[in-house]
Amino acid sequence: MAVQTMVQTIARTLDQEMAADERVVVLGQDVGKRGGVFLATEKLFDKYGPDRVIDTPLSEAAIIGSALGMAVHGLRPVAEVQFADYVYPGFDQLASQVAKLRYRSGGQFGAPMVVRMPSGGGVKGGHHHSQSPETHFVHTAGLKVVYPSTPTDLRGLLRTAIRDEDPVVFMEPKRLYRAVKEEVPDDPEFLLPIGEAIVRREGGDVVLVSYGGSMAEVLKAADALAEQGVSAHVIDLRSLMPWDKETVLDSVARVGRVVLVSEAPRSAGFVGEVAATIAEEALDMLLAPPLRVTGFDTPYPYAQDRAYLPGPNRILKAVKRVLEY
Amino acid sequence: MIRDSQLFQPFNDEPISVVGEAGEWKGGFELDVEPDVLRRMYHDLVAGRMMDERLGRMQRQGKISFVAPTAGHEGAHVAIAHALQSGRDWLFPYYRDIGLLLAFGLPPVEMLAQALASRADTNRGRQMPSHNGSKALNIFTIASPIASHIAPAVGAAISMKVQGSAQVAVTSFGEGATSEGDFHAALNFAGAQGAPIVFVCENNRYAISVEYNKQTGAESVAAKAHAYGMPGYTVDGMDVLAGYYVMREVVERARSGLGPALVEMLVYRYGPHSSADDDSRYRPREEVEAWRRRDPLQRFRRFLGKQGLWDDEAEATLRAEIDAAFTAATLEAEAAGSVPLEWMFDDVYAQRPAHLEEQARELLD
Repeated sequence: MAVQTMVQTIARTLDQEMAADERVVVLGQDVGKRGGVFLATEKLFDKYGPDRVIDTPLSEAAIIGSALGMAVHGLRPVAEVQFADYVYPGFDQLASQVAKLRYRSGGQFGAPMVVRMPSGGGVKGGHHHSQSPETHFVHTAGLKVVYPSTPTDLRGLLRTAIRDEDPVVFMEPKRLYRAVKEEVPDDPEFLLPIGEAIVRREGGDVVLVSYGGSMAEVLKAADALAEQGVSAHVIDLRSLMPWDKETVLDSVARVGRVVLVSEAPRSAGFVGEVAATIAEEALDMLLAPPLRVTGFDTPYPYAQDRAYLPGPNRILKAVKRVLEY
Repeated sequence: MIRDSQLFQPFNDEPISVVGEAGEWKGGFELDVEPDVLRRMYHDLVAGRMMDERLGRMQRQGKISFVAPTAGHEGAHVAIAHALQSGRDWLFPYYRDIGLLLAFGLPPVEMLAQALASRADTNRGRQMPSHNGSKALNIFTIASPIASHIAPAVGAAISMKVQGSAQVAVTSFGEGATSEGDFHAALNFAGAQGAPIVFVCENNRYAISVEYNKQTGAESVAAKAHAYGMPGYTVDGMDVLAGYYVMREVVERARSGLGPALVEMLVYRYGPHSSADDDSRYRPREEVEAWRRRDPLQRFRRFLGKQGLWDDEAEATLRAEIDAAFTAATLEAEAAGSVPLEWMFDDVYAQRPAHLEEQARELLD
């Protein structure tokens, strides 16, 4: 075990996977000598050299598209998109090429690759350094989408993503990169399955479902609720495609009240999918309508970003509504 | 084979040509292609044309939904295929490459089964016709979005370089593709990496209806190579041997670690963009007829005749053999039957996840 932040865990996990499997390569803007603008690939260039830690031109289409070709030719590329907000020039590569290669080739070709992207808000970055585009990826059949919120989960899920036979969009809550330090298992075979949620806190009065950067706010809200004598059952989804329906439905069926929290815009957002599934499959068990606490349907604001992000106060208000329903 | 000196200078003004319209050799250097290879090239030219004609008939008969005609492109196709080592090198083609795929080794039955979306399709009926692929032959499965396959080709080439595999990647596309951002992104990266890849533009002067001079202000596609730090060549794509010699030179150059190249092959599409297009709305018939008179098959046949390698009897035998082989392949592809409904849910991921199991049950139970 070692005490690490999330961003230190990324570099350590990449290092371990590159040492264990020479097919693993890292590519992206500034991932080499600079070690990544967030230092997520720190020291890898010195250790593995320019053939395995590839500084690319400033082009997301080239990064994601070439990663696919590397994967098809036998490498295990881990591509970094510097900010999720900059994925769009490479989005056609993800949607048209990466996601559909296995399907359109009848399973002849796969795309074992990871596209990492620092995501979400809370770093005073304005709308082009703060967005939460996960729904685009969830809506693109063929991609897996992972969004951990702790160093330990990141360790286990990044390793699984690198070893996965399918392309994984690996979203990292950048505002938590250095916010949390914890003991992280250093065992090079510590793996977590994609598609499994984790219960962060057991409780019986209300279920709080969230993922990514919002998890920190949800846990603060749960603390505040505990002081008021309300026990919250907190689920961190960790994976969005596939997602862990059973854990959510079991908890909702037992508790009967649920609040879904995501900083992404509300309309057609991922937690809307969770709410619809609850309505379809657990309506009889509900004591109140599922409520969403989300970002708003505006571009991510600069000056008002604290109000845009779902914070403890907005979460508590929603909990109050479902408790009093 | 690496030559002591290059046969061709890049950024040439006149398209490179080695066989004249009358079939005469005018290369200015000694022809060193074996007679058997020359005859095989002609076989591949004719096979490409006959498959195009067959698929066109099948589309008109309602047997297949669509086809992207390739007649007029065969000179480029056969030139590319013969410069590569089938089974070793990689091809990242586009949807107007029938002759290229066949010449690179794709069995006719696979091409026909793909067009029919029959159970014999190795791509399992997932795409419209003209979108083949074969892992066994290192042919990256074709995708419709223009230029989207070029960056993947560069990635494969970088992998070849990193792994020291002495392979080469070739990717083909039309001149319309050169306007997409991904074209620029890919060539730029390949240049920076010195990747072993050859970019081949089959410039037929029309992206559906949009003419070359509306596509770009550049005097040639090959000129664009300069900005990416690689040589660019403009070739008479109706002259299969010209294309072959240029491709041979740049492929071996890439294989020996000297980096990428861009080859522009001037071709013409005799037919419409696709079976859903009406090219009479944008192209004068006289222009089409003028290009047909420069046909790559006819020119190469005249060349073979002058070399004493071909006659009318050989022609009749060749066409009868290809036709019989394609007919047998068509019957085999049709006999395999249609793809089952439940295949719809396979190959989204390596393993079918729970939500797709549920959706499959919803449809099938």
